[in-house]
Amino acid sequence: MSLLAHTVQAGTPFVLGTIGEIYAERSGVLNLGVEGMMAMGALTAFMTSFYTGNLGLAIVFAMIAGGLLSLIHAFLSITMRANQIVSGLAITILGLGLSGFLGKPMIGMTAPRLGSFSIPILAEIPVVGPVLFSQDVLVYASILSALVLWFVLFKTRPGLNARSAGENPAMADSLGLNVYLIRYVCVLFGGVMAGLAGAYLSLMYTPLWIEGMTAGRGWIVIALTIFATWNPLRALLGAYLFGGVYALQFRLQAIGIGTQAPQFLIMLPYLTAIVGLVVISAEAVKRRIGVPAALGLPYVRGES
Amino acid sequence: MTITVPVISLVLGFLSAAPLFLAVGVNPVLAYRQVLGVFLDVDGLTESLTRGIPLLLASVGLCLPFKMNFWNIGAEGQLFMGAFGATAMVFLLPESSAFVLLGSMMIVGFIFGGIWGLVPGYLKARLEVNEVLSTLMLNFVAILWVDYLVYGPWRDPKGFGFPLTPMFPPNARLPWIPGTRIHAGLVVGLICAGLVYVFLARTKWGYELKVTGESRLAAKYAGINYLKLTLLVMFISGGLAGLAGMGLVSGIVLRLRHGISPGYGFSAIIIAWLARLNPLAAVPVSILFGGLLVAGDALQIGLGLAFATSLVFQALILLFVVGGDMLTRYKMALTWA
Amino acid sequence: MKEIVKKFPGVVANDHINFDLGAGEVHGLLGENGAGKTTLMNVLYGILRPEEGDIYIRGERVDIGSPREAISLGIGMVHQNFKLVEPHTVLENILLGLKEPAFLLNLKDAAERVLEISKRYELPVDPKARIWQLSMGERQRVEILKALYRGANILILDEPTSVLTPPETRELFRFITQMAAEGRSVVFITHKLDEVMAVSDRVTVLRAGRNVDTVDRQELDKTKLASMMVGREVLFTLQKNPIAAGEPVLEIDKLTVMGDKGLAAVKNLTLAIRKREILGIAGIAGNGQRELTEAIAGMRPVASGQIRLSGKEIGRESISRRIGGGIAYIPEDRVGVAAPQGLTVSQDLVLRRYREEPFSNGVFLNQHEIDSNADTLIKEFNIMVSGKDVPARTLSGGNLQKLILARELSGNPKLIVAAYPTRGLDVGATEYVRSLLLKQRDTGAALLMVSEDLEEILSLSDRIAVMYGGEIVGTFSASEANIEEIGLMMGGSLRKP
Repeated sequence: MSLLAHTVQAGTPFVLGTIGEIYAERSGVLNLGVEGMMAMGALTAFMTSFYTGNLGLAIVFAMIAGGLLSLIHAFLSITMRANQIVSGLAITILGLGLSGFLGKPMIGMTAPRLGSFSIPILAEIPVVGPVLFSQDVLVYASILSALVLWFVLFKTRPGLNARSAGENPAMADSLGLNVYLIRYVCVLFGGVMAGLAGAYLSLMYTPLWIEGMTAGRGWIVIALTIFATWNPLRALLGAYLFGGVYALQFRLQAIGIGTQAPQFLIMLPYLTAIVGLVVISAEAVKRRIGVPAALGLPYVRGES
Repeated sequence: MTITVPVISLVLGFLSAAPLFLAVGVNPVLAYRQVLGVFLDVDGLTESLTRGIPLLLASVGLCLPFKMNFWNIGAEGQLFMGAFGATAMVFLLPESSAFVLLGSMMIVGFIFGGIWGLVPGYLKARLEVNEVLSTLMLNFVAILWVDYLVYGPWRDPKGFGFPLTPMFPPNARLPWIPGTRIHAGLVVGLICAGLVYVFLARTKWGYELKVTGESRLAAKYAGINYLKLTLLVMFISGGLAGLAGMGLVSGIVLRLRHGISPGYGFSAIIIAWLARLNPLAAVPVSILFGGLLVAGDALQIGLGLAFATSLVFQALILLFVVGGDMLTRYKMALTWA
Repeated sequence: MKEIVKKFPGVVANDHINFDLGAGEVHGLLGENGAGKTTLMNVLYGILRPEEGDIYIRGERVDIGSPREAISLGIGMVHQNFKLVEPHTVLENILLGLKEPAFLLNLKDAAERVLEISKRYELPVDPKARIWQLSMGERQRVEILKALYRGANILILDEPTSVLTPPETRELFRFITQMAAEGRSVVFITHKLDEVMAVSDRVTVLRAGRNVDTVDRQELDKTKLASMMVGREVLFTLQKNPIAAGEPVLEIDKLTVMGDKGLAAVKNLTLAIRKREILGIAGIAGNGQRELTEAIAGMRPVASGQIRLSGKEIGRESISRRIGGGIAYIPEDRVGVAAPQGLTVSQDLVLRRYREEPFSNGVFLNQHEIDSNADTLIKEFNIMVSGKDVPARTLSGGNLQKLILARELSGNPKLIVAAYPTRGLDVGATEYVRSLLLKQRDTGAALLMVSEDLEEILSLSDRIAVMYGGEIVGTFSASEANIEEIGLMMGGSLRKP
């Protein structure tokens, strides 16, 4: 498999997870639980596939699992106005713990995996063809989602409302928008996508179930959300960039570079994230296209 | 009121794990009995204390940045860097007296952890870099760095290829209470809890932390230098986590190895929050969590459950406490309205 | 609007106000800050509900419960603080909150309609531009377009020219005249005399929540309006000892300070305050006073110019140094900044001074001293609290201000910068605060006091400076003060170097 094709595959969980997180944060809620939701999505998908062999069902259940966890976070953050950082962390620990707890009997086992299929004609395009159009269904879904959700976010009323809830909830409220509902929906969407991202990891990316499958990808999703400046199209780019780092890491090891110290290669994504954060922070101060203004702040009507 | 709610939340969170046990085919009653058994058993209690030592050090350290709303999620990485620094001392001064060696291990462990905390502190104070993400990413870097050492240059040639350093010489081992694994780190931890308590309650920096935690603008008005405060606090916080790491390699495991900490840095976050950022309260909570970890072991061995079980307990307890906290705040707001 | 009464805790903002508006009329609403103009219009726009009174639109009695209802009745309002979402485009802001289109934002059609309106009224705007890229004048155009897009034929403009340049102001007047010519009505809230006279058919003057008078275009007279706006009531005179002022303590030289919106809020300002002198800064809030006090205190950076304290340049000094140098600062924002609500009373009482002896020795706080300080100040300043260890959030507004004053004034400051020190306080507290400030002056401090209350300025100040548009438009001693002139200066119509 070519490096580029591998990049796309490695980047797909990032695409899925980041799009979801973008929506959640655009509406004003910081969701730090992505890692946990991804882990639970991975486990749920794997277990479902293992016991039923039905991949479609596995994907759906993974999305539900992510959604349920995000519902807890939404409840605590939006209705109970709890500290969003602590709530998100709690969900991550819960998700990681649950996936380890429930997944123990499965360690080392394999389950039916997603197969790839080529889209006719498009797959014949030189270079790009096999990379983009000879993949599994979730890859296609992820690219499609990025495009569709970019459109929804910027060109439709629901998207406009979501963005306004995160920029100026008091104003949105005074114009008649239900800020609480908008935030619930966006957070739920974030959880569903995180679960889906996890499903991809266990159904396609890794051949068997291991503990700690997510390896911090959920956290990178959160960093990616910032790099992508909360824009689903840029998220595609960023996701594949990180996918490339993972794929490269794999390749170099296969060739033999860095076998002495593979850890430095593995460090690459995390170091890239930090560097990116520094660069973006310096930029964000200058450009005003940045954080949704109300991100992380619970909205209470009457307080301004 | 301020104690009953968290205690009830604690119990509720604990009990809410019952359906999960059922889901994996384990009788919840058996599981709970095993857990409680840890605390009713002398060995269990001493083990809880032992496991609680790194938790205590790290969570006490976290009380400081959290007080000023600086979200240091990097205690795990700072712990690893402290362990790294301490181990480096063993390699550098293997022949020194225990006093010199242990002393330098503590100092270097503290400093290395502290430096690892300074970096995200500086990034936030100067560039407004999100500290949740920066501390988190540095965790991975630190863990991988240690991995590199224990898989590579520091690996024990007689270790059958396992990722661990050679065993520490006796002069690199912290004194311990015979018959148990409780080591001098406990004393250090208790002293630090006291010191940090005094720091928060009696020093001018403790006051500055309170003000900054209220509002950065108010802190500015009061003439507080955010950069200096952040650097100081993150150095201490990282340093204490580093000490926790030193205690692990020098008091319990007696070598540096892959996975030297099974997430103590993250549990410390929960403990600090449950202790409401009071270092003295962190003592009993750390011992409690230490007990949960021991119970996790027992459940693993006795009932075949994953070690992650204790993580589940911790997360559920935290969720219920956060929820309970908010409920009390609501009720209070209503009574004033 | 008939007999409108609107109350807030502690104050009657609108006291049986009557206001009427004809079709095609431009009606100016004039008054100082706190006169009740914005409150009245907020009632009309549905943001506030009056306790008493009725509103009739085209003869029919209406009950306006929300801005949505107001909009459906054809009322549009452009507020002082624009309600725009900065990262969104112009078009998105205009479309926000509308029911149609429900899903797909038909941006092309909407853009066409916006451009049509914009052309008709000569309000050039680019629908695709993002708000943060636009100047204040352009943003205001967006707000106006927002109202027009929703079909407003009663347009309320609240202090619209406060963010405009002179040519933009002329453009706005042209637009207002055009609206009126079409038969739509405009309410123009302002404190600026020249403007209200230039464009209004009628002017209603409010003062302290009540109607003063309504004047027709022909009878408009600047001096008369000024005195109506400002009034001649003097509540009480304090015993002020004539004291010879000493050497200069604060010297400000060609100071320029940037405001939050990217414009210069303080422009090339020069003034000096001497020892044992109170300099009162008069003027309508929003003309740069806040930014001036923040720059002196260190909360806001200096763009250019000098600030000297007793001869030493402090414009770039840290706040802690300025505190150490003897600057006391009583900011406008009591609750969030000057007295954090989560700290206890005794903690707040040392907020700016905890570094000094005897409260701390560099490392440890001396709790005993802090406690006794709290006890002393609570008694001395008569702060009503149940104890010194209760959180500050339990204090009433007046007591909170007493706390802040107690803290700031007890350190024997050299310079006291006070912004609106008696705002929101009842009569007793107000008198107490003023006597405190006078005492400080008598014992040797220099005071810079910003206030919207002319009586306060007149009775307390030794010298008065009037600020308008970020500049000082007049300085004189209190004995030379002429109320009409001050009113004119506050309205921007007079300059006395």
